[in-house]
Amino acid sequence: MPKSGSKYYWWCQIGGWSFLALVIVLSAFTSFEQRITDKLIFNTLIVATSGLISTHIFREIIRQRGWMQMPVDKALPKFLIGIFLTCIAGSLIRILIGDLLKGFLNPVSPLKNADFTGRIVAMTAEYGLMIIPWTLIYYVYHYIDKYSKQQLDTLKLEALVKELELKTIKAHINPHFIFNALNSIRALIDENPGRARTAVTELSNILRSSMQAEKLETVTFEKELNIVKDYLALEHIRFEDRLQVEYEIDEDTLDQPIPPMMLQTLVENAIKHGISRQVDGGKVKIVSDFKDDYHELVILNTGVLNGNRNKDGFGLASTQNRLQILFGQKANFNIREVNGNTVEARVLIPVDLTK
Amino acid sequence: MIRAVIIDDERLARNELKKLLQDFPEIEVIAEAANAAEGIEKVDSLNPDLIFLDIQMPGKTGFDMLAELERAPNVIFTTAYDEYALKAFEVNALDYLLKPVEPKRLADALQKLQVEEDKDPISDHTISVNRSILNEHDQVFVKDGERCWFVKLSDIRLFESVGNYAKVYFGPNKPLILKSLNALEERLDEKVFFRANRKHIVNLRLIEKIEPYFNGGLLLEMKGGEKIEVSRRQTVKFKEMMSL
Repeated sequence: MPKSGSKYYWWCQIGGWSFLALVIVLSAFTSFEQRITDKLIFNTLIVATSGLISTHIFREIIRQRGWMQMPVDKALPKFLIGIFLTCIAGSLIRILIGDLLKGFLNPVSPLKNADFTGRIVAMTAEYGLMIIPWTLIYYVYHYIDKYSKQQLDTLKLEALVKELELKTIKAHINPHFIFNALNSIRALIDENPGRARTAVTELSNILRSSMQAEKLETVTFEKELNIVKDYLALEHIRFEDRLQVEYEIDEDTLDQPIPPMMLQTLVENAIKHGISRQVDGGKVKIVSDFKDDYHELVILNTGVLNGNRNKDGFGLASTQNRLQILFGQKANFNIREVNGNTVEARVLIPVDLTK
Repeated sequence: MIRAVIIDDERLARNELKKLLQDFPEIEVIAEAANAAEGIEKVDSLNPDLIFLDIQMPGKTGFDMLAELERAPNVIFTTAYDEYALKAFEVNALDYLLKPVEPKRLADALQKLQVEEDKDPISDHTISVNRSILNEHDQVFVKDGERCWFVKLSDIRLFESVGNYAKVYFGPNKPLILKSLNALEERLDEKVFFRANRKHIVNLRLIEKIEPYFNGGLLLEMKGGEKIEVSRRQTVKFKEMMSL
């Protein structure tokens, strides 16, 4: 808890009690007595001063005991007792100051100690009318303050997590793939030098784009597709006849923005969990078109959905997150099994019609 | 001459390894396999001295394949990037090569293999008597969940029947394998492995103490501290075997 407290505290305290005193005096003037006597001002000042002193003590207790940090159900009884005691304290201070000052100003007149209990009860009730609102204002102010601070912290934390997640996903290129590709290329150098040369180019394109991906929020679908084509060409060297690739691309979708390396990750998964597990291999098909107001990307691969491993996988869970961070809640990602031997990953990105 | 089989699902990876092996005239590549099923078939029919085995393969992984082999030959794993899979082997001194394979590492791995062979010359002449019976110098591959071991039969002190499984005792480990005790008994050398009772097969070379037990039976204490009762019927056989 901050030692200094709110910088508005004294302003509110002095302002509030002065305002109250002013209201009492003015209301007296406008209502029954129709005039402002010295006695009235004197009494009102004592009321306000005692109120200020007692609530200040109350506040110190609240702060020292940390009542604001307690849950509401625990704090409520403490506050109720606190209010009651503060009212009594206010009354006592008021009587003390009043009597002292009266004795000081008018030493001749005898002190009226008659009916002490009666006065206390009346004053406590009177203070109740002032101190209950005071406590409410104090409580609500600090509650809102605390709440908004918490919210801010949560937001900051979420933003940090998102940033970290994005970085990790973007940088994600499977090392297994890189070393397998290098191994295939080394074998190709003797067998098919021409193909080996193109393979080196393809691999450099993939590595370069995965490094650049960290700097970019989105890339055009065309750029990403070219990387994926390079990637699949390299995997084709490895898998040979076991991998067939098919594209079905609506040319107009080529300009659409997509998160960098997203398609790449999905295709990589299609190979890793699909094709590479099939003894006889299979097919990967990439479809891109417009559907209503969405850009729809579908990746189909031979294979079966391996329940827990696929759905909780880092790549898939974060794909949904990443899409929604970049394109809002309407963006969607899902993966399912169709026809028993095909896995379909579908991405929906709302099209920004203003562009 | 070491007869080797290369098991890898990528043709180019196999070619690359074959090319590297040309520099080692003592290695003869007698066959190749493109997946675990083919691998099992080749290993069982050709009985090679050494296999180069890829870990990630379609269908079954290299580990699964080994677990299915009756007798595990010497294995050198080849993998592109499988730190996690190889961790399973930290307990065993066993070699692996990272693809693309560095020729120097390959030479080291083969050198290490040669040293092992010299230490244990009996092991590569197992074909002699009866191939279906496992010699005590044979090694088996045991896989229990994520953990894997290569175990020499001579290091196994006890097989214990647990339902359809058998618990294999060696060192501080006792993994389960999916084999019945009866099937194991048929495959084990009866001069070394003795069926003490319905639930246990013991290694006669790893008995610490023998004590008489109820009803004319015996109680064996194994080197690992396990106490195994020998049934009355088997006790007669046991005494016959142990006496001159």
